[in-house]
This record gives sequence, C-alpha cells and structure tokens, in this order.
Amino acid sequence: MEFDKKSLLKLGKLARISISDDKLNNLSKDLNSILEFVDQLKEIKTDQVDPTSNSLNQKLEVRDDKVDTKNSAEDILENAPEKEMDFFVVPKVIE
Amino acid sequence: MVAQMIEGWNLVIGIEIHAQVNSKSKLFSSSPTDFGSKPNSQVSLIDAAMPGMLPVINKFCIEQAVKSGIGLNAKINKKSIFDRKNYFYQDLPQGYQISQYKDPIVGEGFVEIETENGQKKIGVERLHLEQDAGKSLHDQDPNFTFVDLNRSGIALMEIVSKPDMNSPEEAVEYVRKVRSILRYLGTCDGNMEQGSLRADVNVSVNKPGNELGTRCEIKNLNSFKFIHAAIVYEAKRQIRLIEQGDSVNQETRLFNTQSGETRSMRSKEDAHDYRYFPDPDLLPLTLDDDWIKGLQDSIPELPDQIKERLINEYSLSSYDANIIVSDKATSEYFEDVVKNRNPKLVTTWVTGELFSILNKKNLIIEDSPITSKQLGELVDNIENGKISNRQAKEVLEEMCESGKGALEIIDEKGLSQISNENEIESLVDNVLNSNPENVKKYKNGKDKLFGFFVGEAMKLSKGKANPKIVNDLIKKKLSQ
Repeated sequence: MEFDKKSLLKLGKLARISISDDKLNNLSKDLNSILEFVDQLKEIKTDQVDPTSNSLNQKLEVRDDKVDTKNSAEDILENAPEKEMDFFVVPKVIE
Repeated sequence: MVAQMIEGWNLVIGIEIHAQVNSKSKLFSSSPTDFGSKPNSQVSLIDAAMPGMLPVINKFCIEQAVKSGIGLNAKINKKSIFDRKNYFYQDLPQGYQISQYKDPIVGEGFVEIETENGQKKIGVERLHLEQDAGKSLHDQDPNFTFVDLNRSGIALMEIVSKPDMNSPEEAVEYVRKVRSILRYLGTCDGNMEQGSLRADVNVSVNKPGNELGTRCEIKNLNSFKFIHAAIVYEAKRQIRLIEQGDSVNQETRLFNTQSGETRSMRSKEDAHDYRYFPDPDLLPLTLDDDWIKGLQDSIPELPDQIKERLINEYSLSSYDANIIVSDKATSEYFEDVVKNRNPKLVTTWVTGELFSILNKKNLIIEDSPITSKQLGELVDNIENGKISNRQAKEVLEEMCESGKGALEIIDEKGLSQISNENEIESLVDNVLNSNPENVKKYKNGKDKLFGFFVGEAMKLSKGKANPKIVNDLIKKKLSQ
C-alpha cells in the first residue's frame, strides 16, 4: 500500500493535526516504511478466517451491572491543561 | 396545512433513535449513569480513555438490547461484533466510539403504527449497542468550550428504521411507538427531556413516480414536537429548492428549537470518514439459544397485545384502547380502576376527566394526585347513582385539591344525589299538582312542556334528584 501526500493530508485533517509542507515528504516516507513492514502480514492467507477470531476459543468476558466509582472529578481533571467549574476547557468549537 | 404544502410531492422519512439503556453502570465501565450529577464526577479511567484501560462489557446492557429486539419483532443475531468508529472530537476521549457496524446484535424487525389510513408497518433495519459521547457546552464562554464526560461511555441502543414513513405524523407515531415499547420492556426510561431518547431524522422529497430525492439528516431531536416541526420545515425547504430549479445537497443539519428552522452543520464533502474496524479489545459477542429463549419468556405483555385484550375484554373502541396503552403507567392505572367496574364509565373518567386535570396541572399520570383506588371510589358512586356525572366532576376537582376521598367530599358537601324513588315521587307530585294548567296543555299535545316539569322537579330538589328517575317518573305520571 502506497501512502501519497493527498491521503496523508486527509489523515491529518481527520485527526486534526496540521502537517506543514516541509514535513510532508519525510512523514510520507516514514509512514510508507511502516506500512511496508506491516504489509508482510498480507502474506498469510486469511480468507478462511473470521475477523477477530482467536486461537484460544475464548468468549467475550462480561461483568454485572454494578456501580463502582473509583475517582472523583478532581482526580479525573488532575491532568487537564485547562479546567473550570469541574469542566474540561478546550478552544471554542463551532458546529 | 402540511398536506397542502406537500401536495404533489412524496415525503420519505427514515429515523435513527438513540435510546439510553436503563442500566446503573456504563456499557464498558462501572461508572454510574445518574442524570444531573456534578460534571466529570462519573468518569472512570476507561471513560476518560487513559492509556492501557480495557473495556469489559455490561451483561445487563446485552440483555436489554436483546429484549428490545424481541419487542421490535426483530431477528436476534447470535454473533455480533464491536467496531471502532473513528472520529476526532473534544467530547470523545478515545478518539473512537465503540459501536457495531456490519454485525449488530439485532437485525431486521418492525413496529405497527396507527395512521389516518389505518395500521401501517414500519420496518426496523437494525438495533446495535454503542457508547454515548460526553457533553460539550458551547455557550458558557465566548472563547472556550466546556466538556463534561459524565455521559461518556453510557450504553445506547441505536435503532435504525427503514425509510418507511411518509409524513411528519407517521414519523412522530413511529417514535412514540418505539418509545412506548421500550418503556413497557423497561429497557429505556424514554425520558426525552433528559436525553434518554433522541432521534436523528432523514428526510427527502420526490415527485411520485420519480426516483428518491437527496436526503438530509437532522440531528438530535429530543421531543415529538421538534420531530414534527423539523420535518415540516425541512420538507418545505427541499421542495422550495427543487421548485426554484436548485438541487438539494446531501448534508447533516441542525434544528434550531427557537426559530423552528434547520441549518447546515456539515456537507457530504465534509462528512466524517469513520474508518470502522473491529475493536481488538473486544471479542465477538455470542449468544446461546437457551439464553435468548429465557429472555423471550420474560417479555411482558406489550402495548399491541394489551390493546387487543382491552378491546376483547372490555369492548373498548380501538381509539380509546390506543390512548390507554400508549403509556405503560396509563394502562396500569386504567386496569386498576376498571376491575369489576363499568369499562365505558371508567374510560371516560380516566381518558377524559382525569387526563384533563393532569394536562391542566402539567402532570404525568405517575404523579397523579388521585390514585387509581380513589378514582375507583368516585366511579363507584356514579355507578350506584349516589352522585350525578356533573356532581362527580366537582368532587374530582375537590379530591385533586384536598387529597380527600370521594365519599368524604360527597358527605361534606351534602352532594349525594337523591335516588330514593319515594322521595322523588313526592317531588314530582308536588310539581304536577302545583301546575295543573301546564299538565292540561301537555296532555293536549304541548310536548315541549316535559322539560319544564323536569326542570321544576330538579329545582325543587336543589339539583340533587337523580335526573333519570325524575324523567322516568314524570313520563309515567303524565301518561296516566
């Protein structure tokens, strides 16, 4: 799979990361080498295998509907760069 | 109004309902789901998407989704898969929503709605489980957006309809019906004001015989009134565009509840590219037949079945039965009162008099100041002739104000109706004896005087005489 500059800019936009022109070339080269590495997985035939199947034959773990509050608003906001009145504060978002 | 505007046009509507599962804890974490708590006080490390946290699914939520599927006459999928729906937004800490894409837990089903032209089947495409996002407040500060993650990770059931509705009324009826079914099942509380149930509405218009028009999606409508108003506005807008020779752009729109207008939120070109893929943190969800069977057996009687039973058991009209079963609390209230009483009388007093009092006071039936037992007592006193309908209305209002029982008020006010025939007979005799002229005229053919005699007798009893007995006795005496 080849990652061209256009796809890279689109990916950047979707992740809200701005990519400056001078970084475009190197970034594209880096990403492509990662993809090439991962592409080796394609050598394995998987057309008979369901997605998310696993060799352990495990079932999805479930839990009971019990409430357990482990942290307070103060805890969860501790790492927030900006906070006010127990809210996270982010730059204005206009829809 | 709407019909006129739409004349010559087809309206095609499909709806996605987001219904919050009635669970105590979230879909993949043990944080509480209580409404109105202090901001960010119900956020676990999973909900905040801290690195290394793993989701573990809530068994109760799986059950509620399957129950809802059964209530929607839908196929239950024994294997379903959780996917990541990727998008970047400030109230989505994970950067993706865990949802179900290709393999939802519930497949195709249907619900039946009442329309002007009778029953109509509305297809359900699917129901899947997904996480809710956090809440963004844009109006707290001119320069910043505030984010509360309490909702983040709460379990939602997204119910997608087929584009089977053709009027705003049908759309509203469909949402009402789905809400009612979920409330009967107890899988979602249906509280639209608190956002427990909200709808995204897809609207397109076309000329009959032509292919379908381009649709627009109106997001996040949280009342029946808004659903209706948004569809009317949107249909008009699209028709106007096409009639002007313009075309409708496929886009997502927002409804302004103040102005009643919709405005563009994002166009197709800006539409999200969600890059779905199976969530590697979650294995496929498999359900076994016995477990599904167990849930099927636990399904309570649903509105359609209750309606049929009310019509058969109590000879209610389809119209009355519909009103009564539209809400679980109403049907329970009605069935409490109607036991061993006259169904017609009870229907009138529940859907007529009681509802009008509740409406006036802006109350729901759960908060009715008059219990089903109290209303039953009132109906008993109408049925046994102790008070007239007119007096009963007065008593009901007084019951509502004072909280006293019907009998107590009847005694206090000396309202009880005179039903003793001997007593009434002497009243009637009194009236006839003191108006010999009129009796003569009546007997000579002046029929209209009948009302005069009844009126006089009622006046004499201070309005307390049972009008039916008065009528019967006067008729009897005058024909002698």
